[in-house]
Amino acid sequence: MEMSESQEKESLIQLTVDRVVEDSNTDTRIIVLTRSDGAAEHFMVWVGASEGEAIKRAVDAAITPRPMSHDLVKSFGEHFGIKTERVVLTDVKGSTYYATVFLENKGVGRTIDARPSDAIALALRCQAPIYVTQDVWRRRSGQNLDAWLSKLETKEV
Amino acid sequence: MITQMQVKGLMFDPYNNAYIVILRDDEQSEMLPIWVGKSEASSISLALENVAPPRPMTHDFMKSYLDAFDAKVISVVITDLNENTYYSKIHLTYADSEYTVDSRPSDAIALALRSHAPIFASESVIRKQTSEELDQWLENLKPEDFGKLDS
Repeated sequence: MEMSESQEKESLIQLTVDRVVEDSNTDTRIIVLTRSDGAAEHFMVWVGASEGEAIKRAVDAAITPRPMSHDLVKSFGEHFGIKTERVVLTDVKGSTYYATVFLENKGVGRTIDARPSDAIALALRCQAPIYVTQDVWRRRSGQNLDAWLSKLETKEV
Repeated sequence: MITQMQVKGLMFDPYNNAYIVILRDDEQSEMLPIWVGKSEASSISLALENVAPPRPMTHDFMKSYLDAFDAKVISVVITDLNENTYYSKIHLTYADSEYTVDSRPSDAIALALRSHAPIFASESVIRKQTSEELDQWLENLKPEDFGKLDS
């Protein structure tokens, strides 16, 4: 059954990147997202160290002397007039999340498959909204991770 | 003047805890080492070894982004070396127009390898290499340092 675009959007939950937490035990980063509607639960995505840093630089609005990889993608978009409309976390298999990036240029829409880390890093640089499907939201990693996360953050301090 | 370069391989630089991409010209008379970070080195290594990772890595994503709108990488040029920072330009065509985009050489090389686009270095960049440094590196090079990038 085909969903219309409006129905599809209704079933999406908008997320905001809250912070990037360093998991020093595994040299990974945890991207902590919160619901833009203010509901309390978190959504967490584990990413590699360099991917996490790319997101952290965008959150911190850090300026680097040279364009980093996602700045380059943004730069391509600016040169060609390609707009990053939104990114959607569309699926989860095992512990791997899948994302789709929605692009638009002169009325032509295109979607590309991406890891959530690349999708989020680009979205933040282009001020594009980040969504998760209801299905993926329900299947997110256990809620008790919130407690574990706060422990990890306390340890860092 | 620009010289076409081939990516010969990657080496680990234990002194700076970084990786070096080795570019050589076709006559093997010039060598250009480019220091890159670990994730950039790993991306270049995957392209050199023709490994398709289970999920698109950042430069695969970059390539998909360009492919989605039929933008093509024509060539990349390493243009300048300034206080140990390299500059490069990516030349592309999109909708019958040509574009030049500023980038780091690591991104340019990772993208060129995935796009089968030639890599060039400007004469000034090759000249700026101090020969003592190169000789030292060349002396320490072992064949097994090239090609495979051990984690």
